[in-house]
Amino acid sequence: MASPGAQQLKQLKPLYQHVVNNFVAVLAAPVAVAAAITAARVGPDELLARLHSLRAAHVFLAVFVPAAAATLYLMLRPRSVYLVDYACFRTKPNCRVPFSTFLEHAKLVTFVEGASIDERSVRFMTRLLERSGLGEETCLPPAHHYIPPYRNMEASRAEVELVIFSAIDDLLAKTGINPAAIDILVVNCSLFAPVPSFTDMIIHRYGMRRDVRNVHLSGMGCSAGLISVGLARNLLQVAPRGAHALVVSTETITPNYYVGKERAMLLPNCLFRMGGAALLLSTSRAKARFRLARVVRTLTGAQDSAYRCVFQEEDGEGHRGINLSKDLMTIAGDALKANITAIGPLVLPASEQLLFAMSFIARRVFGGGKFKPYLPDFRTAFEHFCIHAGGRAVIDELQRSLGLSDQDVEASRMALHRFGNTSSSSVWYELAYIEAKGRMRRGDRVWMIGFGSGFKCNSAAWECIAPPRSAEGPWEDSICRYPVDIPEVLKH
Amino acid sequence: MVYEQGEEVLPGAVHGHRLSTVVPSSVTGEVDYPLSDADLAFKLHYLRGVYYYPPGDVTRGITTKVIKDPMFPWLDDYFPVAGRVRRDAADVAAGEGGHPPRPYIKCNDCGVRIVEAKCDRDMAEWLRDEAPGRLSQLCYDKVLGPELFFSPLLYVQITNFKCGGLALGFSWAHLIGDVASAATCFNKWAQILSGKKPEPTVLTPENMPGHSPAGATAPRSVKQVGPIEDHWIVPAGRDMACYSFHVTEPTLKKLQQQAAVATGTFELVAALMWQTVAKIRGGVETVTVVKNDAAARSGRALANEMKVGYVEASGSSPAKADVAELAALLAKGVVDETAAVAAFPGDVLVYGGAHLTLVDMEQVDVYGLEIKGQRPVHVEYGMDGVGEEGAVLVQPDADGRGRTVTAVLPRDEIGSLRAALQDA
Repeated sequence: MASPGAQQLKQLKPLYQHVVNNFVAVLAAPVAVAAAITAARVGPDELLARLHSLRAAHVFLAVFVPAAAATLYLMLRPRSVYLVDYACFRTKPNCRVPFSTFLEHAKLVTFVEGASIDERSVRFMTRLLERSGLGEETCLPPAHHYIPPYRNMEASRAEVELVIFSAIDDLLAKTGINPAAIDILVVNCSLFAPVPSFTDMIIHRYGMRRDVRNVHLSGMGCSAGLISVGLARNLLQVAPRGAHALVVSTETITPNYYVGKERAMLLPNCLFRMGGAALLLSTSRAKARFRLARVVRTLTGAQDSAYRCVFQEEDGEGHRGINLSKDLMTIAGDALKANITAIGPLVLPASEQLLFAMSFIARRVFGGGKFKPYLPDFRTAFEHFCIHAGGRAVIDELQRSLGLSDQDVEASRMALHRFGNTSSSSVWYELAYIEAKGRMRRGDRVWMIGFGSGFKCNSAAWECIAPPRSAEGPWEDSICRYPVDIPEVLKH
Repeated sequence: MVYEQGEEVLPGAVHGHRLSTVVPSSVTGEVDYPLSDADLAFKLHYLRGVYYYPPGDVTRGITTKVIKDPMFPWLDDYFPVAGRVRRDAADVAAGEGGHPPRPYIKCNDCGVRIVEAKCDRDMAEWLRDEAPGRLSQLCYDKVLGPELFFSPLLYVQITNFKCGGLALGFSWAHLIGDVASAATCFNKWAQILSGKKPEPTVLTPENMPGHSPAGATAPRSVKQVGPIEDHWIVPAGRDMACYSFHVTEPTLKKLQQQAAVATGTFELVAALMWQTVAKIRGGVETVTVVKNDAAARSGRALANEMKVGYVEASGSSPAKADVAELAALLAKGVVDETAAVAAFPGDVLVYGGAHLTLVDMEQVDVYGLEIKGQRPVHVEYGMDGVGEEGAVLVQPDADGRGRTVTAVLPRDEIGSLRAALQDA
């Protein structure tokens, strides 16, 4: 039970926040009042006389210098980047993989020549799936419905085309933009890098201009979606005014089914599912729905343990897969702390920053034991949180680290349940969930956090300008069933 | 792709099998489908039905995707078919009786297996050959078990012939429904493919387990077999094969004329077969008769509601008797044992178990399976898990006037059967 002292502190907190956050106004108000009183006391005639005595040059400078400084500041400030709209790949029921089917296929693959997955591995995958937080509607590409799954280039390209073309078609319909009006094209897909690249596929299919600036990012992990947004923002600074950038985030599952028996490499099979998102960014505010406030990227790859944390390699028998190390959670926690330290000063209101600074000083002065490190309340900076749905453990860990409530992480948990881990596009499915639930209002701030191999932790902060105009989206058919209660262990 | 490396392909054989799975498009939830006593009586049998579509523009447009896409909504209606067999852990009576717990279907959306295969022969040539055992090439010949919990209840094999013809082979576990239920189920899929909205499926089972006296002897129509664990097939001592042939309209007319009174076509054809097999084998005084009575069906989409009974040839041996006489017996002299068969607690072989089994498929609409308006040019239904005594299935023909007969007999009897039919 909180002591009466703590209770009083809690009640004082909102007052404290108002005072510190509006510090300038709090200071300026009495000064303005004092100035007004002085002016009144002095009298209007006296004031006019004093004004006449001022030298013209001084008056001119007093007006010109601030005006020039302001203009220079406005010109040199980076251009604001806006999200016109986004569209997620809408999964089709004919790609659905129920829990029982996934396990049955895994069992049957044990009989296939060339695969060394065995009974123990299947039991391990069963336990993983039961506790994974995934539901019965997640989707795998059609090539993975075969026993054994197809992993060749033709099937991989087919999956890519299915996912990104349908997401881009939805986006073009939503925004009404002509593909020829797109100036910048950034695509990220970590584990499949065909030649010609995805960007060329898109340019070919939609007939884009000859001078479109295209970049394909591969191997950047599950946080690459936010890296692509950062890159597009940078490219938009040097593009003509009002330029448009198309950013596509996806992950290709087809070539990556692991058929070995190394436990650390079986987890991706169980968690990764089909998904993708397409977004349209622009420096023009017309028809925009969000404003990109910040993109903060943190890389911890200089440390050995972080670098080897998520590592694609061949196992002892030559089967390629992604090795997830045992200290993934610890490293993710550290990367998150680094990212919070970077983004905190940029987004947190002054009240929180002051508290954090005081706690920091107190710990330094009085020794670490007496004071717990102050956990800034990010709910003062953001209304909504889109945490990459990397897995149940990741979401739980982040909820604990950031001190968030169940409602704050609901979007992440439900996106994991309905779509699985869709890698870089998962933050967009979560945003779509929040909007489908009707919780997004003008002025709301959103924090997207992505994690990925490297080990990277990337954040993007958005501010809502306009809520969605229609209910179309990946959650259309299923939103009425959410939120669901996700059991600790799935019964099957 | 991966499969074909190093696979020796006999010329003309069906090869290149690729398996995949189709699931219901929406989540069924935690639903169990109980199996009735009638269902469990048929658990050791498997229907194998093949539908042949001729080469042409329409058939060329029937790709795997065209076949698979309607299956997702189809399985929403028929979700028990996409389930898997489980045993009722709460079955107390089983524990006391010392036999395995009662099976039921867990509707876990596990799905239906699709097999894609190729054949390097022309379909017309294939059909003309009338090779015995061709059915098992075009239907994936798996049964329930040995891994009972992971065995699909339905396999659909899509075989593409060199000429562009297509064969659809359905391997259906009899316990989920009889041949009439199966044919209706497949027709519904074809209706969804054509874009028509099929009638709603009624799946509410009245599957109440019956209470039958323990230790009763098996009814005469069927044969009791040793307690079956998890591999639901009783291997016949001899190698069984399915052989399909036509009974033409003129032959039917001749048979009709020989009969003194107007007799049903099934009775005539079945009697002819009874006599032929008796001539080959000797004996066969009793036959089991399995009939489909459309009027008596409950309207449930998945049910085992065929009437099972036996007929005894009084007096003269069937080999010497008149076809007309035998036909009359089949029409009037059937001793109905449907309820007794269902109530019997042990494991039984209905088809080919105790006696030669004659199966009436007259009222089953097999030619209704139209894909994009294309009717099948030929349909044949055989069976797996048939006992040594054999079975004969009498089905409608493509034109509706003749009959297709599939005889499931020991392979060494097939030769004699062909010879006997040539003479007839």
